[in-house]
Formats: sequence, C-alpha cells, structure tokens
Amino acid sequence: MTPRKDLLDIQSLTDEELDFILTNAVPFKNLFKRSVKKVPTLRGRTVLTLFYEPSTRTRSSFEVAASRLSADVINFSVNTSSVVKGESVLDTISTLEAMRTDYVVVRHGMSGIPNLIARNTTASVINAGDGFHAHPTQALLDVFTLKEVFGGDLSGLRIAFIGDIQHSRVARSTNLLCRRMGMSTAMLAPGSLIPRDTPAEIAKFTNWEELYAWKPDVIYLLRVQMERQNVPFFPSIGEYHRIYGLTDERLKRVQDSGIYVMHPGPVNRGVELNDSVMTYERCLINQQVENGIAVRMSVLYWLKPGSVEEVGS
Amino acid sequence: MSKQKLFKGGDIASEESAKLQRCDVLVEGGRITRVAPNFTAPPDCQVIDCTGKIILPALFDVHVHAREPGQEQKENIRTCSEAAINGGVTGFCMMPNTLPAIDSAGVVKTVLESAAKCRIPIYTSGAITKGREGKELAAIGAMKAAGAVMITDDGFPVSNPVVLRRAMEYARDFGLIVASHCETMELSGKGAMHEGTVSYSLGLEGIPAISEEICLDRDIRLAQYTGAHLHIQHVTTARGMNTIRRFKEEGVNVTCEVAPHHLIFNHEDVGDYDTNYKMNPPLRTKEDNAALLQGLIDGVFDVIATDHAPHTPFEKNNDFASAPFGITGLETALPSLHHYFISEGKLSWDLIVRRYSAEPRRLLGQRAVPVTEGGTAEFIVFNPKTDTVFTRDFIKSKSVNTPFLDQALRGRVDVVVHAGEVLLQR
Repeated sequence: MTPRKDLLDIQSLTDEELDFILTNAVPFKNLFKRSVKKVPTLRGRTVLTLFYEPSTRTRSSFEVAASRLSADVINFSVNTSSVVKGESVLDTISTLEAMRTDYVVVRHGMSGIPNLIARNTTASVINAGDGFHAHPTQALLDVFTLKEVFGGDLSGLRIAFIGDIQHSRVARSTNLLCRRMGMSTAMLAPGSLIPRDTPAEIAKFTNWEELYAWKPDVIYLLRVQMERQNVPFFPSIGEYHRIYGLTDERLKRVQDSGIYVMHPGPVNRGVELNDSVMTYERCLINQQVENGIAVRMSVLYWLKPGSVEEVGS
Repeated sequence: MSKQKLFKGGDIASEESAKLQRCDVLVEGGRITRVAPNFTAPPDCQVIDCTGKIILPALFDVHVHAREPGQEQKENIRTCSEAAINGGVTGFCMMPNTLPAIDSAGVVKTVLESAAKCRIPIYTSGAITKGREGKELAAIGAMKAAGAVMITDDGFPVSNPVVLRRAMEYARDFGLIVASHCETMELSGKGAMHEGTVSYSLGLEGIPAISEEICLDRDIRLAQYTGAHLHIQHVTTARGMNTIRRFKEEGVNVTCEVAPHHLIFNHEDVGDYDTNYKMNPPLRTKEDNAALLQGLIDGVFDVIATDHAPHTPFEKNNDFASAPFGITGLETALPSLHHYFISEGKLSWDLIVRRYSAEPRRLLGQRAVPVTEGGTAEFIVFNPKTDTVFTRDFIKSKSVNTPFLDQALRGRVDVVVHAGEVLLQR
C-alpha cells in the first residue's frame, strides 16, 4: 500500500486502503472496553483541529481519537466571523506550516478547502466536512457501523437517504461508500432538495409508499435546511415533517419491517424525525458516535504526514 | 520609407479557400506590394524565411478585459496589448467592467488615450447602464461620440428587460452594437461551475445551462422586437446556439461569439478544484463542446473571441467557490485552436481567418486584412511544427491564469506584422 498523506474524499481511496481503515478500527474499538483506553501509537505527534464551521461532536470525536493515540491535540481557534475567505485560509496555513503540526483536521463551509490546504502543507490533511462536497470519516464510520450490524458483507443490502440530499456532504460520501460496498442506495426528498444530476444507479423516490415497496434495510435521515438565498425549498417545516419526516406512524411501520435508522447528528426533532425514534432499538445513532472515534483513530494511524517522511529521509 | 521585406516560401491562408497558397509576400511601407509564387528578392531587401509556415491575416479579438482603469494588478492596456501581439492578435475591443466602469465619455477617452500609446489599435466598448448596475442608461450617445464601438454590461446581464429594451432602441439609432452576457442571475445564484454531474460530486453550487439559455432567449426576442444589432457573447450551450441559429434564419440582426476554451474544455476538466477552469459562463459538457465546434463550422458563430480575463495568482489560488471567474486567452488562442483542431483536421485555416480575423474586424466596422497585393501588411507567420510552452517568461500578460500554464501546445506564432512593421519575430 502506497503511503498516503491526506484523506480528502471517498473517491480517491483504493479498496485496499478502505479495507485497511475499516479492519484496523476493530482493535481500536476494542480498546474502549479497557480501563486504559490509550495506546502510544502517535506519541510526539501533533494533531491540529481547524474548524471554520461550528461542530461539537465531530471535533470532539477527532480530539478523543487523537488523544487515545497519545498525540498532542491542539485546537486552533478560528474566528469564523472574520475568517470567511479562502485567502485567509492560506494565510492560516502558512502559520500552521511554521508550527510543524503533523495532522490537520479541517472543516469548512466551502467545498474544496481541504484540497487547497492539502496542496499547501506537508501535514496530513483530514477532511472533517467541506461544503456539500465530502465527509469521508462520516462515511467510514457509517459503513463500519453497518458492518457491525450486518456482519462483514454488505452487498445486496438497501439503504435509503431521506432529507436534504442537495446540500448534504454526508449524502454524497456515505452514499458513495455504500455503493462501493455493493449496496443499493436510494433517495427520498422533496424534488427541490434532490440534485438534478445524481448518478443514475441511485433510485429516487418521491414518497414513503414507494420507499416501503423498495424494502430498505436501513434508512438514513439527514438534517434539512428550509431555505438558502431566501428561496424556500419547501413550503414549511410542518409540511416537510408531515410528508417526508419519520413520524410516529411511519416509525411503527419501520419497526414492523425491522428497518434500521441512522442519522449523522445533530438531530432536528419534529422535523426529520420524532423523539420516539431515539429510543427505537434499531436506531444506530449512538453506535455511530462511538464508532466515529475508532474509525478516526484508524484514519490517523493509516495516514503518513509529509513531515514524518522528511524526518525519515 | 521602411526597408522592403520579403516573406519567402510560406503558405498563405485566406477566408476564401481551405487550400493554402504557396506564395512569397513582399512588404513595403505598410502595404503588401507583391504576392506571387517564388520570385527573386529585390536588392537590399530583408528576407524572412517562411518555409513550412503559414501566413495568415493577423487576428482580432472582440472580447478582452484589459482591466484598466482600476485593476492594474491583473493587467493594464499596455501589457494586454503586448499579450495580444504575443498571440498574433493585432487589434481588440475592451470590455467596460473596470473600476470605475467605462460608462461615460470621460472614461472612454481615458482608456483610448492609454490605448493610443500601444503598438496596435485598440477599441473599447462602453457600459449599457451606469456602473453596470442594470438600472439607468449610461451616456450611450456621448460614449459613441468619444469612440466607443459597442455597449455591454459584460460580466452581468441587464436583468431588467425594460432597461434592455430602452437601451436597444436607443443604441440602434447610433449604430452601436448591444452585446449581451446572457445570464439569469437568480438561477445562477452562488454557482461556481456548470450544474451537472461534476458540480454534484464536487459539492459546488451549479450554474445551470438554463440560466444562460433563458436570458439568451429573452435578449434575442428583444432584438427582434426593437431591430437593434445584438451580439451574444461567449455562447456555451448547444441549445442556446440553436436558438441563435433559428432567429438568424428569421432574419434577426444577431451575431455571436464562441471562446476557444468552450470548444476545448468541459466541466470534467475542473478536476481537483482547479480554478484555471473557472469562468463565467462555465465550461459545459462534452456534448456541448462537440455541438459548438459544429456550430462554428456551420457558420452559426460569427466570431471567435477569447474573453481574455486576467486575475492574479493570489486571487486564483483560492478555493473554487471564492476564486474569481475568468482565464486569459489572447496568447494561447491560436496555438490552442491549432493544437486541438487544425492539426487534427477538425478545423481548416480559412475558418480561423474568417472567424478570428476578418469577421471580428467587420463586426466593428473595420476592413478585413487579407494577405493580397495592395492590401495592408497585417499578418502573422505561424509555425505549425514547433511547440509553444506557456511559461511565466513566455507570457506577456501580467497574469498567468490559464489552464495552459507551463503546458506545451503544438504551433507557435513566429512573426507578427502590423502596418508593415515587424512587431514580433521569434
């Protein structure tokens, strides 16, 4: 396996790399049951988190993962109000270069910023979500979770994404990885939230009846945002919930069919789902969070920062 | 009186025939005095060997952003003119999206004063509306009197159809061309590239083809209604082009242009967020590439124009959504058309002469400059066998925002002659 510096998206991962990350996440997860949850793998290395968009859960997941690998974790505070432009990102990068960190975990509202940073730093760049583009560690933890639930082989399983597909990097990355695992994927959302040019192999549904008929094994709920640029995508939150949300009535049917429920968090109660979903025994949301740490440890373990090669040669 | 010059052994391209004519060309005092096969050089005459090379009328570009006044960090009229010469272009028309906009007689005069100091003639367009804001008509009559040859809010459409209608009715009687950047701003939103499979996978907001097509439809109908001469800039979609074709058949006074990059590249070339593939209108699809090329061959496009749009490396080395739209084109246009189409047998030289030399001049009321006896000596010598590598050193533009930076293209502009003077010789 060729050493790789950055994790920017799912597309660029080889099957071998995917397998490496997912396989190694298992022993890392087993660590969590021990009283000492720490291994010395990344002792002396520095992981810097650079979040231009607020995200408590993804950021802390990376922080926990890094510290369990004994890395030093630095939280680079970004004043999101003043730092909105790409040129400031590059200025920040030259600062980071001078600090000689080994790993940079980036989240940014603009698609492609992690790619830009990766081109301009020797540190390993991990994309923790950029614009609508990609969220590769989310996809990896989702598939890891599915493998735990269904056993190693996911081929032939069916997963449907419901919600704001258009503006979701999770819908892009997780959907792509699921297809690479041999799963069938589908989308259900108001027409205005489904991109016009999605890959043809993804089924598109307009209502729950069509979805039930497709017999999904898993439904993956996404957060919805009602409007951008002051043009609403649907008439109201109430109407969205009634027509597309996982209501109590629909949950009952989901339960009866034994369908699993996933969500990248944080959930919007009363919009894409109801409270009762959180206590449904096949709701995988908390398992996703726990697995996030193991998968991110595995990603940090796998990547080879340019700074490390420098020292070696 | 300058010394006689004999361009010996070249193959002459003309708009009349796809077949090249092997002739020697004698130049004296700004004029071509003799064009004939293999004649003996007169005494005391400078001989320039053109064996194996093409002699074609010098190029003319109707769509150039020289960035003066106000954005001289990107380009100025002087550097832009030198970039043009470097690409075999001996005349061009500037766009008015400067700071301030070229929207008054005063600014027209200022830029034309700068232009007069250059080695080639440079024309300017003026804005349709004050500040290119799409609200009030700019001083159209005064700009025309000061020398503007075209009006356009290029970079933006005139979104309000009533404003465009008035502008067309007004400009028509001054004999001014109204040029349209066709875009429905609300549909484009914050889009950064063509809306399609690539924008989906890169997670970028898209500019749908209908954004351009709806505005194009509207503008062409306004031209039909008002009788104004409408020139549609940088057409990118097959559907838009077919609309123009249809309305031309109906006799509407409409002309249009296509940019080399829209023939060569498509949205898949954006790759890993390469901002040298970001321009507006955006690169469309492979199918559009093919349709536009066929449209050029069929004569739907009156002219080829580059939309030369310089930006600094600082501005372009940015995330894709934040980087400005536009790429340079004056220096790469002919080598790129040669590399991708002429040398592949997809386009012939007569088409290049017609669409990138003769017709652009006629569009602005100038005479074409064919390589014929008694004509103006305004031509270039193109070497089809030598590569051009577009390094920073080679490029005369202040900016290097081109996909061809540090790339090699087959063919090289070896000599540029304007008014009998050799402006460039490699």
